Amino acid sequence: MSLEKEGPVLDVGLSHRVHPGLALDVALSLGREVGVIFGPSGAGKTTLLRLIAGLARPDSGRIQLGPVTLFDSSRRIDRRLRERRVGMIFQDDRLFPHRNVAANIRFGLKGWPRAEAEARSAEVAALCGIEHLLDRSPGTLSGGERQRVGLARALAPRPRLLLCDEPVSALDLASRHAMIRRLKDVRRIEGIPMLYVTHSVDEAVAIGSRLFLLEGGRIVADGPPLDVLAASRRPGDIPIAFEGLRNVFPAQVASHAPEQNATTLRLNDGPELIVGHLDRPVGSTVLVEIRADDVLLARGPVEGLSARNQIPGNIERIVARGAEVEAVVQTANITWIVSLVAPAVTQLVLRPGTAVHLIVKARSCHVITSDEPPA
Amino acid sequence: MSDLAPFWLSVQMAGMATVLIVAAGVPIAWLLARREFPGKSLVAGLLVLPIVLPPTVLGYAMLQVIGRRAPIGYWLESSTGITLVFHWSGAVIAAAVAAFPLFLLPARGAFEAVDPALEDVARLLGRSEGSVFLAVTFPLAWRGLAAGMVLVFARSLGDFGTTLMVAGNIPGVTQTASLAIYDAIVLGNNSARAGRLTLLISAVSIGALWVVQRTLPAGRPVR
Repeated sequence: MSLEKEGPVLDVGLSHRVHPGLALDVALSLGREVGVIFGPSGAGKTTLLRLIAGLARPDSGRIQLGPVTLFDSSRRIDRRLRERRVGMIFQDDRLFPHRNVAANIRFGLKGWPRAEAEARSAEVAALCGIEHLLDRSPGTLSGGERQRVGLARALAPRPRLLLCDEPVSALDLASRHAMIRRLKDVRRIEGIPMLYVTHSVDEAVAIGSRLFLLEGGRIVADGPPLDVLAASRRPGDIPIAFEGLRNVFPAQVASHAPEQNATTLRLNDGPELIVGHLDRPVGSTVLVEIRADDVLLARGPVEGLSARNQIPGNIERIVARGAEVEAVVQTANITWIVSLVAPAVTQLVLRPGTAVHLIVKARSCHVITSDEPPA
Repeated sequence: MSDLAPFWLSVQMAGMATVLIVAAGVPIAWLLARREFPGKSLVAGLLVLPIVLPPTVLGYAMLQVIGRRAPIGYWLESSTGITLVFHWSGAVIAAAVAAFPLFLLPARGAFEAVDPALEDVARLLGRSEGSVFLAVTFPLAWRGLAAGMVLVFARSLGDFGTTLMVAGNIPGVTQTASLAIYDAIVLGNNSARAGRLTLLISAVSIGALWVVQRTLPAGRPVR
């Protein structure tokens, strides 16, 4: 696919004051690809999606979708929702409760010739794997099924763009993976560009071909998901709290020890970290995610420990957050956040400058890779 | 047979009053539920006034508007020859105004209970405003509207004070069941007739309440 040759499908440049503490000021363009809008809660991700859909009106700017101008404040263009041909799926499914699955799917096909509407309904139902649910009422479906019906309904009228607002965050883990695979199939078969909002590193890497990092209302980085997420973890950066407090580090596969079912990663050219065996060649780039409360602190090296990783470092500072305390720990090239309870800080006499060892179980390290091994 | 005449008159007038109320009430309730405009709370307050005003006060106020010497009544009579007061049409209007809030309140609530996000989804799927109302808003609100409709029918069926003030108590013309019951007791001392009419009216009203009970709680959970 020569995405670059076709030029951008979606071109957005807009300003919008969300509330006194947050102003969106966003410029982005997207080809026939899946763009992930990624960032912490409150960064304005969902608002940006709503502005593009037309569910809210930007203060100023321009939104161009293919040959059609959806919004242009200088030319006083604000196309009506029904003329935008933008499909959208949400965190909740928003199915019409008074219509069965088939009627929900057909909802956007009003005015189509009957035969065509039926063929298209059958096509999207098959694409979303819901052919067996057509007679059911939305109230009787599981969460994953409802999201698939919502997807089929959004796709049916052949929108020019699909907006996905955290569509899997309310699903259990297995349904999440299934839905993401489904969305990738849809992207491949229908060739529809997508904008996908999430705050999960996993999802961003799994579905995105391009990632827009949104922080404080601005896009601060843009590129392939792994690269952007890795680059945003510069030495000295405080790891951002996404879903809960997590450490996210870029890493290279350093070596494999198959007999121990283990792989050694090098974190950002700094410390080594042993994780469970990883099916990636030496030298591959990955992301490692470690929850702040899965890391233990010790005042010195500990013997006779089952955890495989002990990484020396120094406490940079201690931040109290209610009953919890966060210790910011500096190791070679990497800054960690460790969650502690307040008494532990007193008992271990932790203060800035204290030398500590970070103790990390291999099983606590969640390794995120792009689907296709890098060429 | 003479017992049935005022009863049938009541049923016919209540039916017509219900049609008037629904025709005016659906768009007004939708506006109050879905649109913001200056003076909205004042309008909403005025529209429920009939429920708190004494029927005689309401009837007096209406005479000041549609009476033969009042502005609208005079204009109507001189231009079309239609006189509303002491006429069955006046009784219908009186009953409709008196019962209107009983439709407006549940209807507005029913529209407000429809998730606007679902309407937005319908628009995103290419539907016009009219189509959004017919395919999403109305089907999700109809139980509330139906309940309000039954309530105002029952209420109009028994209207007394406002009807008496505006349309008088003319047997065969504006004498509804409620008025006939009053006459039977006060003028004719005919408690048998009063009893029979009471039974009829009560049966219809209680039946209407039963219908409301059956319609409302069985409603689908509104999401």
